[in-house]
Amino acid sequence: MLDLSAVRLQIDSMVAQQADGGTAAFEAHVHAAMAELQRWSGDWEALQQRLDHSRTSWLLPRFASGPLAKGVMASPRPEQLSVAATDGSQVFPDRHEISPCYLLNIGYVLLHYGTDERPLLSSRPRLYWRDEDLFPQWGGRRTSINRELIGFRRSLMELTELTELAAASHAAGHRTVALTDGTLVFWGLEGRPPDFRQASLAALESAFDLLARRRIPIAGYTSRPGSYELVNALRVGLCPVEGRADCDRCPWLGQVPPCSSVEGVSDAVLYRRVLGRGERSPVFESTSRVLADYGPHQIFFFYVHAGDEVGRVEVPRYVAEDDELLDLVHATIVDQAAKGGGYPVSLSEAHERAVVRGSEREGFYRHLEEVFVRNDIGVAASRKSLRKRSVSV
Amino acid sequence: MTEGGVTGTRSLESFLEGNTRPVSRPQAAVDDGVGPAAGRTGEVIESSTTTLVAEARHLHEAPDFGAFVRVESDGRDIVGVVHNTRTQSIEPNRRPTAYGKTEAELRREQPQIFELLRTQFEVFVLGYFDGTSMVHLFPPQPARIHSFVFPCTPAHVLAVTEDPQFLRSILETTGLPTDELLLAMLRHALDQRARGERGSRAYLAQMGSELSRLLRDDYDRLSSLVRRMTTWEQA
Repeated sequence: MLDLSAVRLQIDSMVAQQADGGTAAFEAHVHAAMAELQRWSGDWEALQQRLDHSRTSWLLPRFASGPLAKGVMASPRPEQLSVAATDGSQVFPDRHEISPCYLLNIGYVLLHYGTDERPLLSSRPRLYWRDEDLFPQWGGRRTSINRELIGFRRSLMELTELTELAAASHAAGHRTVALTDGTLVFWGLEGRPPDFRQASLAALESAFDLLARRRIPIAGYTSRPGSYELVNALRVGLCPVEGRADCDRCPWLGQVPPCSSVEGVSDAVLYRRVLGRGERSPVFESTSRVLADYGPHQIFFFYVHAGDEVGRVEVPRYVAEDDELLDLVHATIVDQAAKGGGYPVSLSEAHERAVVRGSEREGFYRHLEEVFVRNDIGVAASRKSLRKRSVSV
Repeated sequence: MTEGGVTGTRSLESFLEGNTRPVSRPQAAVDDGVGPAAGRTGEVIESSTTTLVAEARHLHEAPDFGAFVRVESDGRDIVGVVHNTRTQSIEPNRRPTAYGKTEAELRREQPQIFELLRTQFEVFVLGYFDGTSMVHLFPPQPARIHSFVFPCTPAHVLAVTEDPQFLRSILETTGLPTDELLLAMLRHALDQRARGERGSRAYLAQMGSELSRLLRDDYDRLSSLVRRMTTWEQA
């Protein structure tokens, strides 16, 4: 059990320390970052040139449009529009439990606006228990499935299932926008064996291909984004070294470099002060390393003032370069967030469909155990796990 | 272990496959109630000998308060009266909040909320049909969960309300809005008779005298009931 009153005291002292330490210094950094943003706002192409020639250890964006410090207002959402969304959750294999199987649960939501048509809200669980599910072979090695791989499989399935749902909606005659929670950049691919990357990328590419062919826009929405790409670019702009910034040869090594005056400020904090309600930032192209393998579907992003917060919206190239689709995504996100109290309503409904609550997880394991017992298959739940279920006094 | 390529050929219905409890389904898949389910008004979700709780087939479309309903269960028609209806969220952790919009606006702009609401109605069991004759006793077995609930036909209502026994059943049961329910039931009973060959006036007089017998020790209550019944006669 958790001694809550003991934790409370520690939380109080944590918050007290963060409150007096942070604010003044942080405010100065935000101020500096704002000044830099204004300085480069119209001159973003010059900053881009400097970025192109610089070497940093940070992730930098590529500017796809400007000016940097000016918001673009959302157009009104089309009267009739359907929004498709998916989300996923999982029950991990628990080594204390009787079978090493795991479960993915995908929630589906298709909301039709401007008509009286009933929405589709559903979820589908999938159980993975076969040898190839639990011990996949990658790079010639049989590996044991782990939480990271399951999480990756789930994210990929959210995207492929969203594609299928949006395609089905489109085929039924609905003008559809597809929304998913989080990023479209699959970081998890980095450092994986080539055959694993290839298989995952093929699935991703076929999803984007299909959506692009039918001109169905897809977007990934990140709430409270902690990304720093734009601020990183401003740091390069702040570097007084002539010509190109090169962090490996930083003259301030071991001291406080001039670029640290904007350190700790996230892009969202900055745009919170620039954008009005409903406005979006200019569009940036992500330069994440993993995108080198995305082929024609490079990922672009913008920030949007969704009412209560500045969120980050990621779209593939075919959306970013099609003004009509980009506008449609922007308008949809703003409208969805207004309907959902600050967060896109379709995504929160998809989450509600997907989520596996604690009691449901318990029920899943109990049923598993019962069926194993009924079929006289040796139940090897560990003593520890059984002990947790009934503790005598 | 990846899922392979997408097909782009699935139908919207396919997203409900393998889904034993879809919250909602697209328009095309909505069951229009043919076969044994045709004409049902709800489905039993809680059942005991004396009371049932049913989920209305459509949101906000429970039978009226005091209406007579019939449940087919174990080859027997159980008959009861609707005494309470409520509409609420299907998810215990999510409560409806005010939006400041009309229902028509909400249906166009927040369509998901109507999928998350359910109308349920409670039924007090009055008896059952043995063949065509009404038995004013609790059925030997309660209605099965998931049995369908149907509105009573005019013939059923006539049969159930013929014998004033139902007045006693209601008066003797605690936990019901007794007087309101009695009056509502009588009105439903009367509606059927006004159209039939028997005079409604004679029926009211018969029920009135039965009530005065049952409530002979509670003059105030009786006179309030009778006073309200009299206004119908004049109408």
